[in-house]
Amino acid sequence: MSKRALEAPAAPAPASLAEELPAGKAALQLAAIALSLFSFVLWPGLVNVYQISFVFFGLQYVVLASSWNIISGFTGYVSFGHVAFFGIGSYTTAILVAKHGWPWYLTLPLAGLLAVVWAAFIGFPCLRLKGPYFAISMMGLNEVLRVVALSWESLTGGGLGITMPNAENSVSTYYAGLAVAALTVAMCYAIAHSRFGLRLAAIREDETAAEAMGVPTTRYKMYAFMLSAFWPGVIGGIVAYKLLYIEPDSTFFIAITVNMITMAMLGGKGTVLGPVIGAAILYTAQELVWWYIPWLHLIAYGAFIILIVLFVPRGIMGYLIDRGWVAKGVIQ
Amino acid sequence: MKNLKGFMTAAAVAAAMLAFPAGAWAAQEVVVGGAISLTGRYSEPAGRLKDGRTLWVEEVNARGGLLGRKVRLVLRDDRSDPSTAVKLYERLLTQEKVDLCVAPYSSPITEATASITERYKCPIVADGAATRSIWGKGRKYIFGLVGPSDDYLRGAVEIAAKKGYKRIAIVNEDSLFSKAAANGAAMYAKKHGLQVVLKEEYPRTQTDFRPLLLKVKALNADALLGGSYFVDAAAITRQLKELNINLKIWAATVGPGLPRFTKDLGPLAEYVLGSTQWEPVPALGYPGIKEFIAKYAKRFGEKPNYHASQGYAAMLILEEAVKKAGKLDREALREQLTKLDMMTHYGRYKVGPDGFNSGKGLLLFQILKGERRLVWPEESQEVAPVVPLPAWDKRPTM
Amino acid sequence: MAERTPGWVYAVYLALALAGAGLPLALAWEGFVGWLAQARSMTSLAVTLQVLASGILQGGLYAVIAMGLTMIFGVMRIINVAHGEFLMVGAYMAFVFFMMLLPEELHSLFTSNLGMAILGVGVFLLICLPLMFLFGMGVQRLLLNPVVGGPELTPLLITFGLSLILINTFISVFSSDFRAIPYMSGALVVGNLALGYPQVISVAVSAAVTGGVFGFLKFSRLGKAVRATAQNADVAMVCGVNVERIYLYTFGFGTALAATGGVLISIQLAFSPEIGGIYILRSFAIIILGGRGNYLGALAGGILLGVIEGFISFFVSQGSQLQELAAYTLLVFMLLVRPQGLLGGIADE
Repeated sequence: MSKRALEAPAAPAPASLAEELPAGKAALQLAAIALSLFSFVLWPGLVNVYQISFVFFGLQYVVLASSWNIISGFTGYVSFGHVAFFGIGSYTTAILVAKHGWPWYLTLPLAGLLAVVWAAFIGFPCLRLKGPYFAISMMGLNEVLRVVALSWESLTGGGLGITMPNAENSVSTYYAGLAVAALTVAMCYAIAHSRFGLRLAAIREDETAAEAMGVPTTRYKMYAFMLSAFWPGVIGGIVAYKLLYIEPDSTFFIAITVNMITMAMLGGKGTVLGPVIGAAILYTAQELVWWYIPWLHLIAYGAFIILIVLFVPRGIMGYLIDRGWVAKGVIQ
Repeated sequence: MKNLKGFMTAAAVAAAMLAFPAGAWAAQEVVVGGAISLTGRYSEPAGRLKDGRTLWVEEVNARGGLLGRKVRLVLRDDRSDPSTAVKLYERLLTQEKVDLCVAPYSSPITEATASITERYKCPIVADGAATRSIWGKGRKYIFGLVGPSDDYLRGAVEIAAKKGYKRIAIVNEDSLFSKAAANGAAMYAKKHGLQVVLKEEYPRTQTDFRPLLLKVKALNADALLGGSYFVDAAAITRQLKELNINLKIWAATVGPGLPRFTKDLGPLAEYVLGSTQWEPVPALGYPGIKEFIAKYAKRFGEKPNYHASQGYAAMLILEEAVKKAGKLDREALREQLTKLDMMTHYGRYKVGPDGFNSGKGLLLFQILKGERRLVWPEESQEVAPVVPLPAWDKRPTM
Repeated sequence: MAERTPGWVYAVYLALALAGAGLPLALAWEGFVGWLAQARSMTSLAVTLQVLASGILQGGLYAVIAMGLTMIFGVMRIINVAHGEFLMVGAYMAFVFFMMLLPEELHSLFTSNLGMAILGVGVFLLICLPLMFLFGMGVQRLLLNPVVGGPELTPLLITFGLSLILINTFISVFSSDFRAIPYMSGALVVGNLALGYPQVISVAVSAAVTGGVFGFLKFSRLGKAVRATAQNADVAMVCGVNVERIYLYTFGFGTALAATGGVLISIQLAFSPEIGGIYILRSFAIIILGGRGNYLGALAGGILLGVIEGFISFFVSQGSQLQELAAYTLLVFMLLVRPQGLLGGIADE
């Protein structure tokens, strides 16, 4: 078999947007996107600092859930330690800002790149593992990083963490977060509507068959994994700067991984908009419950995870697609 | 189109939920807000701090409130997690718009939240943090109350030096305060010409200290000093017995000073030395100490420990500053807190130029017959310390 | 066919891996040398033996916990993330029994007399294990049965949700404070060796339980059916094994084993509702070390991990921090080098 086989797909291909939608509808859709982006841009001018931060941390989860979705939703490799990339980004920014006096925004590309380097490093061996073994290895590697951050005191400050110099940063980090979230979603969209995305889907559905069809699976899995690591690294850097203080236990925190997964699941994994919707809903709900009924917060969350997995395994988008309310090719 | 409809609906719902009213407090109340570790590893000492503050709120409201207004205390749980505490203070200061702030418990969390309280220029009396480095960063709105963490184990070192014990082992939890306490102990040991044979950190999640204690034993240490909180101090005490390790001195920070230490460990707690900021001993001679002990005991059914005392004292100081300023203006409060010189049941409050309460010294006690008895410094001594500690097999069977 | 990875990729990777692994190793080595210089005279055979013994005692506990996990993993191919919380529930059952239900006058029985102490734990396990067995069956029937054999993410998330519920319910009821049971605290002194009574009792119970599990799997009809299902559920079904019922029993057994671990922890260490996390990743490392569904492997892996941890934290300077790394490194290393485990596990299809 040659590679041509996949380049002339017989399966229902989500070709290009223009083929699926009449020009008028596409324009309307673009307008809607522009409008929602615009309202996000205006937001800081209208509200107080807490409300800016509230949306900022929501955007953080949009980035994280969407990125997780690339390796796990599109490609089918469940990463149960994705917070590691977030943590690497956090520490990169924190160290450069606190110890070397870099301006925080210059550290972000490096934060993302280091996360990608780590992804390349561990992806090479780990992506050979299948199913639960991959999930456990990701979880284990995250713990390795956490303990390294705890013990490598000269670099990370160990359990003391790192304090960055104080600065008014709510608005600047908000816009950085917004930009990163928009770019992440745009990237997911681009992937989903490309041959690359199609090949990832082939890997997800049946890796052996995909390989037999000529998809260079190892290489494509690596690409997907590295792409899914970049934006978490960047947003990790932004969050670290926003908080101005980081320490290992709450940075390499398994609950953040679980949040990403649950948000993507709730919205619908393997779709572009799913993680965004999931992050928006779940994050808001979590904040509300935590503020008003703190003791119930995590119990309810646990129950919620179970209910989603058992009853809406394909998420909100999956539900909508099944009912034909949403055109499959567009957002998938 | 429908996909976007779904998205927009979700966004609209989120936005609507955001619009919940800011600070649902009555306008005539003075709202004092802060994060405190109601759950998690710091919950035991943090809970005592909260009790002390609660007692003050009840009293101040009974005597007519602050500036004639009722006081409401809003303490939210930070789950012993610094980044949660940071988010909480941001919310309390910008969304809930509290009038005054109280500090969180523990040095790491205070360090993390100081950036926020500093940014919003909200003065706090840090009654739960003893690590001097927090005050070494040019911060202007944080005021110390308690003695420095470096001095916590000083008494134990001095007793060891006096008795001629040469080999000191120091272990500590890997966190801001414990580390500072351990470093301080090492410094004092050096000053007295003692040999630090082991200085090792353990992670916060540690419950099994046996290999570490075997190390202590193999090094023939005379004294073991622990920069610890509650769990670790209790576990080390139990495991010392389990491994039949006999030390001449075993002293720890925080843990032994909590009422639960004696309750949980029973006879095992005997002879453990602990450092303390304050003890419910009227002989300390501070003004109002007797009354405070009585009031607290009546309200909570046990004698106050030093955390409770700190929580109460910090509120008294805040109250005094507000009274002197005559208003809740934060700059005015900051000024008052900078120049205030005040004696409370807890000791003297008078901060230096860096905001640290430099006059406060530490005490050392030993648990004898289930009671904490002051043994150091000599001028506050209730009884002479029982050192070396009796060997495990020489103690009466329990 | 799959494209070949070019040789230079391997070369670069190897170089990076060596550098990556070399750094912590160098640090550890430096610490080790420093320690030796400082303490050569004190590191005698007797001390080494003591550390070894301590490690084995600790490893026995790990083994019991991991055995439950490997049983579930082997038979149902489910990674039970809530295993650590089942353990925690066991510890709290012991706490409630000893501290709340038992009259205070009887407490001294468990703190003074070795025989009574062992008897107490035995009796308590007899009460607790059936309860936890039922609890495990309930979890399997209600939550996991619908998703066995599905994508691996589903049970992972369900058990994680369950663990959140358990942890936080217990925090609501018992608070997140650490608890301890005032159990026998003395030590069995043999020559230079001092072995804490709770640890000795714990290992004795572990051994008994492990023996029981081996015997059950080897000789009983049900045990054979469990093993057959683990080998190949489809074939087992064809041969007349009621696979669904086997799943039910397996999860029950696994839960009971975790709870046994919890009870044994409660008599020697402090515990809080969040204690599970400490043991769950170690258990993963052990079952990967031992091979999926390999009980002997879990036993060997548990003891090996206990000893390794003991040695690291004893011999390496600042080893208390690094010993945590042992389990995780072992886990990742085994997955990459020999995912079937040291002793070989049940083959994956």
